[in-house]
Amino acid sequence: MFLAKVKKRVVSTIKHEAYDGKIVYVVQPVMPDGTEYGNEWVAVDYIGAGINDIVVCGGAPGVAKSVFKIDLAPIRTLIIAVVDKIDYKDY
Amino acid sequence: MKIGIVFGVVWATRKVKEIDGCRMYLVQPVSSDDRIVDEPLVVADPKRIAAPGDKVVYVTSTDASQAFDSGFAPVNASIVELVDVIA
Repeated sequence: MFLAKVKKRVVSTIKHEAYDGKIVYVVQPVMPDGTEYGNEWVAVDYIGAGINDIVVCGGAPGVAKSVFKIDLAPIRTLIIAVVDKIDYKDY
Repeated sequence: MKIGIVFGVVWATRKVKEIDGCRMYLVQPVSSDDRIVDEPLVVADPKRIAAPGDKVVYVTSTDASQAFDSGFAPVNASIVELVDVIA
């Protein structure tokens, strides 16, 4: 999994049926202190995150199938948690 | 999943039977504000979602074959959404 900030929403009319009714966001990976790194990802919301939330994104092959209870789920990245607070020490 | 722009079509008469009837596009990965971010790649379009010039969301690795009705295809990138707007 990785920490990310929810940046924007992707609006789409024509899509794979697995995506019907799902909210899709652009997320930007961030360090624990909030600095951005790397390229953006697109993630399917599973918990009701909002714009500018810090979230945990993750997923693995086949996970979306069982999560959404559909036979075929070409979904890679899920938003699986909204972060309240991060306690960490710099190494 | 990632965002990309379809900028070309790959034509192939001889291909594995699992991807018969499925278009293959050249896609340039971009950021949400249209900056180029990675090397172009070839992406399958099993659901006939896109056309050249479109902005799309594509899925990579093992999940790409999930976009096919058979659930099995030897691909590692598939288009899953046509982007209307990113806001």
